[in-house]
Amino acid sequence: MMRNDPIKHVFIWPAVLVVLAISIFPLIYSLTTSFLSYRLIPPIPPRVVWLGNYVTLLQEPRFWNALFTTTLIALIAVGLQYAIGFGIALALNARVPGERLFRVALLLPMLLAPVAVALVARMIFNPTMGPLNQFLSKFGLVNLPFLTNGHWALACIIAVEVWQWTPFIILMMLAGLQTLPEDVYEAAELENASAWQQFWGITFPMMLPISAAVVFIRLIESYKIMDTVFVMTGGGPGVDTETLTLFAYQEGFKKFNLGYTSALSFLFLIAITIIGVTYLALLRPHLEKRR
Amino acid sequence: MSGQGLTGLSPWSRRLVAVGVLLWCLVTVFPLYWVVVTAFKTPPGVVGGPTYLPFIDFTPTLQPFIDLYQGIRGEFFRTFLNSTIVGLSAAAIATAIGAMAAYALVRFEFKVRLGAGLVFFLLALGGYLLFNATFGLTRPQALLLAFPIALIVAVVANRLPLPGPILGNEDILFWFVSQRMFPPIVTAFALYLLYSEIGRLGFQLIDSFVGLTLCYVAFSLPIVVWLMRDFFEAIPIEVEEAAMVDNVPSWRIFIGIVVPMSMNGLLATFMITLAFVWNEFLFALFLTNSRWQTLPILVAGQNSQRGDEWWAISAAALVAIVPMMIMAALLSRMMRSGLLLGAIK
Repeated sequence: MMRNDPIKHVFIWPAVLVVLAISIFPLIYSLTTSFLSYRLIPPIPPRVVWLGNYVTLLQEPRFWNALFTTTLIALIAVGLQYAIGFGIALALNARVPGERLFRVALLLPMLLAPVAVALVARMIFNPTMGPLNQFLSKFGLVNLPFLTNGHWALACIIAVEVWQWTPFIILMMLAGLQTLPEDVYEAAELENASAWQQFWGITFPMMLPISAAVVFIRLIESYKIMDTVFVMTGGGPGVDTETLTLFAYQEGFKKFNLGYTSALSFLFLIAITIIGVTYLALLRPHLEKRR
Repeated sequence: MSGQGLTGLSPWSRRLVAVGVLLWCLVTVFPLYWVVVTAFKTPPGVVGGPTYLPFIDFTPTLQPFIDLYQGIRGEFFRTFLNSTIVGLSAAAIATAIGAMAAYALVRFEFKVRLGAGLVFFLLALGGYLLFNATFGLTRPQALLLAFPIALIVAVVANRLPLPGPILGNEDILFWFVSQRMFPPIVTAFALYLLYSEIGRLGFQLIDSFVGLTLCYVAFSLPIVVWLMRDFFEAIPIEVEEAAMVDNVPSWRIFIGIVVPMSMNGLLATFMITLAFVWNEFLFALFLTNSRWQTLPILVAGQNSQRGDEWWAISAAALVAIVPMMIMAALLSRMMRSGLLLGAIK
């Protein structure tokens, strides 16, 4: 039941005002700046270049490299998170022995500062003094270039992302699993369906809506990745692990190339919108069929 | 809630699954154990290669923490205080006004014309360009002037029979939540410029409590509104209806009945928001430089300042991590009582 009372405006306006001020304000500001050629150092008076910044950016290989790197990290990390997270949620839901112990550790990684996690990761991935090197050297793999080789560094960043955010997927999937109706499984038992068939026939389709939502959230969040990379590799070696946010930070905060950076962040916004809309459009037929 | 999905498995596969879970548990816990242990090491305990067991492998010491407290390696004490103050106030404000908005979206009906929204955006954009280019106002002045004008005109326009669809509560909620999709770099960079130009007008927002807190409140509101809406929807409406029959005003229903009934939800939301703000890096990187620097910035800086002084790095990381570990313990206790399950549908 909905009421109508003038006081509703008192309730909603503070939040609306703050969000409007902090999100629409900068949006307008950087949208208009993105059409200017405008630097602070050296100070050049703003000059209108219309789409000039965008054209330069689209021809810049570093931009495409950053976009590719970010996409790679996001897709692989979220894929792994989903696979591991769903598996562990299933196991926890089935009351696997030792489940109690695990629940405490469950929440931890996702509540920790990514910056601190990245610092710890740097120690663990240290090629000479790190524990991972010690472990691997027992298998004859000594002094691997974890953070100094482009491919290895990318893999390490993905590993840290998986470590930190799989708990989020476990948490959400576990909550979803606990809402599934029992009687469907009882019927499946009577039909002698194997665990494998039960999973693909019942659990997976019924979990599809929540899976879609969880993967969507993680995908969007992963595209924003910056702190982990900033501390672990700083985008290096070279620009091998530079993500979009880091690229924008370098251009904007190190070179103070304002127009260019604004255009870059708008391209980023457009890219993320395209990815989000495509994802939802791809998934929509599957979701509606089940309802 | 019983053993679904795995009922058909043989005892052997069950054991295999248990091993898998245990393995992941080890992977999760090992880095945490490592950082705790390393923080108590002396320099020789680090350089000599990885060691794991205190008193057996190496002699533990409290020296890294004493160094931290004395501020030999950056002002940890004040930074910790900054993080605490900003985190608590931003989380409290965001939870308060976010809960109010969520309640309004659950219980009251809103109608916004898409046309009015468009009017707002076009007027804000056009007004800004006009004031800046034609009247020669500075950019923040132009924005500050265009914003209220656009807002007032849009509110008036909402009452006119404009063509186009009418948006309801669901759409307003979607607008709130969609703010989370925004790459924060767009906001952070523009806010930095805006803040520094406002600073030139005499009101300092960069590296200030107000500037940072305001930005964190806005940044947390979408998630607060989203979480709190589900908590409020779970509250039975009959109690509120009974109060309305007695002519209790809406704000007293909210404060006297709804808030106490959803205390757990408010607490959980507050803690989640606090965790977000505590760990946030990008906005703090842009908007602070010395006085109001927060922990993530200082911790990130440890990296470049000293290469292999792992004991110091670990102690620094621990300072940022431990408060959140305590919170994880509290949250997981709330989770066990099935509290957070309501938030996900």
